Amino acid sequence: MLLEVANLDVRYGRNHAVKGLNLSVAADELVTVLGSNGAGKTSLLRAIQGLTPCASGTIRFAGEDITRLSPPERLRRNLVLVPEGRQIVIGLTVHENLQMGAYCRADAAVQQDVDAIYDRFPNLAARRKMPASVLSGGEQQMLAIGRALLARPKLMMLDEPSLGLSPLLVERLFELIAGLRNEGLAILLVEQNTHMALEVASRGLVMELGGVVLEGAADLLRDDERLAAAYLGGH
Amino acid sequence: MSDSTDIAVARMRLRAPVIAVVVTLVMIALGIALGGKVIAHQVVSGLLLGSIYMTVAVAFTLTIGVLNFLNFTIPTLFMLTGMAAWGLLSGGYLTLAGRGAWLVALAVGVVAAVAASLLVERFTFRYLKMKHGDATEHAIPLVSSLGFLIIFENLVLIAMGSDSQRFAVPFRADLHVAGIVVGVPQLVSCAMAVAVVAALSFVLKRTKIGRALRTIAENPDTASLLGVDVGRVVPVVFILTGLLSGVAGALFTVNYGDVSPFMGDNVGTKAIAAMVLGGVGSIWGAIAGGLVVGLAETLSIQFFGGDSVAMTVWGLVLVIIVLRPKGLFGVAAIGKGKM
Repeated sequence: MLLEVANLDVRYGRNHAVKGLNLSVAADELVTVLGSNGAGKTSLLRAIQGLTPCASGTIRFAGEDITRLSPPERLRRNLVLVPEGRQIVIGLTVHENLQMGAYCRADAAVQQDVDAIYDRFPNLAARRKMPASVLSGGEQQMLAIGRALLARPKLMMLDEPSLGLSPLLVERLFELIAGLRNEGLAILLVEQNTHMALEVASRGLVMELGGVVLEGAADLLRDDERLAAAYLGGH
Repeated sequence: MSDSTDIAVARMRLRAPVIAVVVTLVMIALGIALGGKVIAHQVVSGLLLGSIYMTVAVAFTLTIGVLNFLNFTIPTLFMLTGMAAWGLLSGGYLTLAGRGAWLVALAVGVVAAVAASLLVERFTFRYLKMKHGDATEHAIPLVSSLGFLIIFENLVLIAMGSDSQRFAVPFRADLHVAGIVVGVPQLVSCAMAVAVVAALSFVLKRTKIGRALRTIAENPDTASLLGVDVGRVVPVVFILTGLLSGVAGALFTVNYGDVSPFMGDNVGTKAIAAMVLGGVGSIWGAIAGGLVVGLAETLSIQFFGGDSVAMTVWGLVLVIIVLRPKGLFGVAAIGKGKM
């Protein structure tokens, strides 16, 4: 397994956001984590990246225990998070945002990889010298993903990438995610858009109140009525 | 659509420096036209004084822009440079350096300012960050930097006395341009201040560390997410702050020849006025604000006498923030994320 999370606990003061969670992602797999607002999905991703400390449990990545490593150290091991709300740096230009994506790299191939991102997203190439604040929501999401790709991820974690996008753009976004999966990138996808997420994922987990309440193959989950129940918050 | 946006962006980039240059030239021309040589001379010395305010104002605006922290130790760093240089020189520690001793003394003074700035970082910012998480969310760094200001000033007072001391520069030359007398040290100072600020601007705009600083300014969490080790980059801000304040202190010492434990207070408050005037967090704002405050000061002395300076400067600040709350070049309300 590429990523193995065992008995993970995350607390914010009195709030127990993630409770004894177990999760694994294989090297060529797309796993989706579903659940309603406040289920602990974002806390889970932030803890895996190291942005939120974990109270207990272990996180192993590519065979190494990374539980105590800082976010930059995890990033250098090619574990990359595309955060909720995209967190584009609006005071920087599009190009500078991409350069920040490669902040941890010192190799000579950065320029070449940046050009490859521009080939993949021509909209970004056309706006490379503009401040990122002029981008539309869809373009910002492309920039966030392009920026993450520049860190050469082995595993990319996406936190609600479809949030705030029009239905057409959501469709394009999921085509992009499926494309990345087909290129062999491992992906951990947190989504509210259950239907689309289960379409591209091979496995899914449903979180509620910080724990996993349901887990299984994506095509089986799709028809499981307990999934709908989890979203409604009742039983 | 993309064409018009491009032009708008280009205009925004060009606007600030062009306005600054035009305003400066207009002031000098007006001075000469309306008041003759006396006023023109005041305008020139106001701009030179302004270049020192500008350097200190940039130091203030840098820490506020990146760390959301009004660093009250900046006047102290300014003073430490002057006092350390005077102490070394008058104590006879630099006899080996011969005629260049004053230069060596000032260089050591700047190094002392940088060292003191790192000390402040260690005991205010870093310590508080370890204890409370994001120290930028607290007023504690502000209060503790005020504590450092008072402690440093009084330590220097105890060690060296409260008297104003003479720092003699064995170096004096004047240039006569169109009947206006300009001191060469003043010109060199002005050039150095501009060079230091230009270098800083280049670092922020064009280098990897500059991009990291601007990202932290906007959102430390995003910076961390992108692999910036925020704890390692923050000291860079304090080094730059020490450097800017130290250089300003050295230039002030050379030009005015007087040092005292409280020499930083007056310059520090004027620099804060300059920063607010220009727009908090904006480098160009600090530059424009510094020059405007310098000019306001010398012209105010000329027209209303020496006691009127504080009234003129702060009156101007109040008028500007009433008319334009963001300052001349500010882009947003006071807070983080405007480098």
